[in-house]
This record gives sequence, C-alpha cells and structure tokens, in this order.
Amino acid sequence: MSTAERVVFEHVTKRYPGTSAGNAGAVEDLSLEIPAGKVCVLVGPSGCGKTTSLKMVNRLIEPTSGRILVGDQDVARRDVIELRRSIGYVIQQVGLFPHQTVAENVATVPRLLGWVETRRRARADELLGLVGLDPGRYAGRYPSALSGGERQRVGVARALAADPPVLLMDEPFGAVDPIVRERLQNELLRLQEQIAKTIIFVTHDIDEAIKMGDLVAVMQLGGHLAQFGPPADVLANPASDFVARFVGADRGLKRLALIRVAELELRAPLTARAGDDAAAARARAAADPFPYLLLVDDRGRPLGWLDDRRIPATGSIGADNVEPASPLLDRHTTLKDALSMLLEAGVQAGIVVDADGAATGIVTVEMIIERVRPA
Amino acid sequence: MIDWAWIGDHLGAIGGRLLQHIELAAIALAVGFAISFGLAIYSVRVRRAYPIVTGIAGVLFTIPSLALFSALVPVTGINTLTVEIPLVLYTLVIYVRNIVSGIDSVPAEVVEAADGMGYTQWDRLRRVELPLAVPLMIAGLRLASVSTIGLVTISGVLGQAFGGLGFFIFERPTFATEILVGAVGSITLALTADLGFAALQRRLTPWNRREVGDEIATSGRSAAPGLTGM
Repeated sequence: MSTAERVVFEHVTKRYPGTSAGNAGAVEDLSLEIPAGKVCVLVGPSGCGKTTSLKMVNRLIEPTSGRILVGDQDVARRDVIELRRSIGYVIQQVGLFPHQTVAENVATVPRLLGWVETRRRARADELLGLVGLDPGRYAGRYPSALSGGERQRVGVARALAADPPVLLMDEPFGAVDPIVRERLQNELLRLQEQIAKTIIFVTHDIDEAIKMGDLVAVMQLGGHLAQFGPPADVLANPASDFVARFVGADRGLKRLALIRVAELELRAPLTARAGDDAAAARARAAADPFPYLLLVDDRGRPLGWLDDRRIPATGSIGADNVEPASPLLDRHTTLKDALSMLLEAGVQAGIVVDADGAATGIVTVEMIIERVRPA
Repeated sequence: MIDWAWIGDHLGAIGGRLLQHIELAAIALAVGFAISFGLAIYSVRVRRAYPIVTGIAGVLFTIPSLALFSALVPVTGINTLTVEIPLVLYTLVIYVRNIVSGIDSVPAEVVEAADGMGYTQWDRLRRVELPLAVPLMIAGLRLASVSTIGLVTISGVLGQAFGGLGFFIFERPTFATEILVGAVGSITLALTADLGFAALQRRLTPWNRREVGDEIATSGRSAAPGLTGM
C-alpha cells in the first residue's frame, strides 16, 4: 500500500454542445498539478464543474480539449477500462451492488482483474479491517443490512481494493448525517496517513475542504479555477472577492482551526514552587510584561496562578490562595479550540502541558491574534 | 351434479392431458423468453427500438387467440407449431416489458459505480444489471405462465390432438363434469406455476431479504471504533 502518482490537469476544457460558456458543469481551461500522495479538494458552488473535472480523470466524461496526466501518462491514450480499474472511485450514493455481499463488493476490481478467489477473499478481509469493519461480522452481509456510514466505509474499501495510485471521491460524505460525516472524515484522514494515495475529493462544503485538503482548488461558475493552494493560504489571502465570499466572513476563525499550538513560539511561564521566597518572586513577576507567576508542583505540573495580590509581601509562597490553572492545552490543540477555551474561562492565558502534565509554556489571546494577523 | 365415476374411470386420460398441457405451456414460455430476452437487450441498447418492439408485441397481444389459432391453419397445417406460434407471440409483450423494466430498475448510482470501476458494457449487463433485474423478470415469467396456461386450453379448438386439459372443455360441451375437470385443472396448474415461480424468485434473490433487527445492533456497535479516533 504505498504507490501514489501525481495528477496533472493541463488546460482542460469541457463544453457541452448547445450551451454557451458559463453553463452548469462546464470546465474552462483548468490547469492544476496535484503531487503524488496529496489530498486535493475541488470545492465550489453547484454547477461549477468540480464533478465534471473529477470524472474527466477516469474518463467517465471526456474533455473537449486539454489533457490530464496520471503519473506521466495522458489518460486519453490509455485503454479506458484498464484506466478505470487502476483508479479508485467513490461516489456519494456509494453504489454498492445490492446482490453481492460486502466481501464480494470489496473484491469487485480484483475480480475484474482476474485474481483468484483466495487472494480476493484475503484482500477483502484486509481492507474491511483497514476501514474499521470486522471482516468476521461484515464480509458475508448484503448492503441492505448496513447503516449509511458502514456502506460508505465499504465503498472506500472497494475503491482501494486493487491498491490504486489515485482515488477519486465525489462528495463521499454528502449523504450521511453530520456526526457520522465528521467520524468518516477523521477516519479517512487517519487512513490516508497509512496509505498516502493521491486523492481528488469533491465537495461543496468549504469547511470539509479546509479540513480534508492538503490543497484546495476553489472553482466558480463557468468552470473557472478561482484559487489553488494550501487551505491556510486560501483563507489568509483570498485571490478574489468570489473566493473571499465563498470561504466566508469567518475565514479568520477557520484559519485558527488549521494551526496548532505546537506551531506557536510559546512563552515560558514564570514559575514558582511552594516555599520559594515571596519577595524575590514578587520582584520577578513585576519585571515581566505578563505579571503572573505559575505555581507548579515538584514535577512541574501547574497548580494555579499567583498575581501580586496573592503573593505575600514577605516570607514564603504557600500552595493555597491560587487562581485555578485553567485552561490546560496541549501541543495538538488547534488555535480555534484554544481561543474558545480562553474565552470560555475568561482568562488571558492558557497553559500548555506535555504528556506528563508538566507546564511547557503559555499561550495568550494576544499570541493567537498575532499569529493570524494579515502580513 | 359432478360425475365422480367418470372422473375415476378417466384418471389416466386426465393425467396425460395434464402432461400435454404442461409441455405445450413450457415450450411457449421458454421459446418466448429466449426471443423476448434478445428483443429486450436490443431495446435497452437501442432505445428508440423499444416503443416499436413493445408496440408490435402489444398489437399481437390484442388478436383473439381463437382467431389466431384458426388463421394459422392454412399456413402451417395442424401441428404443434400451429399451437406454439400464438402462445409464444402472446408472451412477448409481457416478457419484453418486464425485462426492460428490470434492467431500468437498477439504481443509477450502481451503474455509475460499475462504469467507474472499469466494467465493460457486457460485464455490467451480465454481472450487475441482469442479476438485479431478476425480480422483475420473474414477475414477467409469473404473468406469462398464468396467461399461457390459460391459452393452452383454447388450442383444443385445433382438434383432439391438442388443448391439454382444454381437450375436456371442447370434447362434450354439454357434459358439466368434463368441463369442470378441464377448467379447474387449468386454473390449478396456473396457480401452482405462479407460486412455484414466486418461490424461485426468493431463492434467486437472497439479497432482498433484509436483516432488519440486525441492522440496528450493527450501526450502534460500529460507532465505538470510530469515536475513539476523534
């Protein structure tokens, strides 16, 4: 499970006869390069040509002009049946074969390729496991006995059966409820870490595009490519009014969801331990632009905040009378979640802790805003 | 009113006529299906042929059977062919419509998935569309068998060599027992065939039996591994 190939669109145009340019489903001079192993999301309003673009890769639709390369080969020069068997294809309605069991469905392309029964069966079991369905329980069932989310997982397993270098997914999670959709999105991202396929993913949902894509291609009516780049760039610097409107007025918040605490330059907190000299601690706090001391235990785990009102003038620091040390963040917390937690707690700073619970730094509201401020 | 003694004396003849009835009907059902299958596949591929095929088959279906049997005599003489030609022609409209509807009933997303995964047109027909058309094809077979078994009785008009159980209806129109044997026998045969094909359909389409209770349990339990990954 390691092959992946780049996909390149070179000046691809699709016009439908009898319609003027700008009509639904048309594509106009699309050029894109999707590196091997990356997820590229085609996103845009309905009729913008995103599904047409996808279907031109496996030639369910033939372009009017231009060419598409998978690897270094022009798809138009390949045998169409052989081409389709070498590209995974997942659609919104899944399209499982109702008269075949789950295992037979998954082994569809291997059967077309002439694999022997034992090898097909082993492969089906392996893939069901990969998408989180126990083969012992699911292999012999018919699709009518599955829930929507299970069907979609079987659809993904089926698309991966012959280990294709490229996977096409046309609104794969559009027909399931929001909770199942989020779960399937997370599962696909985790799966992609293992399989590292080149995935072209179509959606009309900008949030899904930002979440799933290494690259996002925003398309607009008439089949024009409005912007192509990593989601963070599209959010930070929309190329046009259309893109700015499409990504939404809350694009600043959406950008926060793409950045994790680990990417910030964390500020080291001023720490103190119970029993430290109070006067010296007071002096240290007063000298810092963020005049709070973090009281930690002997293993560095935060106990609470001390401001100058809580630090005695003389003697030593006690472990009582501290402001609770919340919220606690970790390196993987997104800035969106971090900001939300700070607002919720009504505080200026959150404490970043490592796996052992020891404080490694602090994040302030100011730092978060600074990180996403337009350059 | 019913002459049971006559029935008792003629059990051998009744059994023989029953077998003849089954044979005449089975030949028509099989030949009719083969011809209709070809016409239906052609109609699916060449869509504009479909209204022409069903139009002609529909007109044939409106010809009174009594007239058609008699009309063929100058052409074919009086033999099995004279019986089978009308019987076959009457099945066409039923079969063709049901086979085409069966193939049309395959959901568009299933066809798209098959194309997208690299099925050839022939593979798609053989492995996807025809298996999924089985319920409607068998519905056609049930209708055609009931209709054909009824029509076999009318072939008794061609003489004592034909008619299956219909022979008894034509032999002595004034003898109630014989008419009842012919009619009730034919009806019973038609019902039996209908039920038999219904059972066949259940056997051939195991995927149609939904495991409803199981589905609820499944979707509930499968939630767990997904949630841990979030």
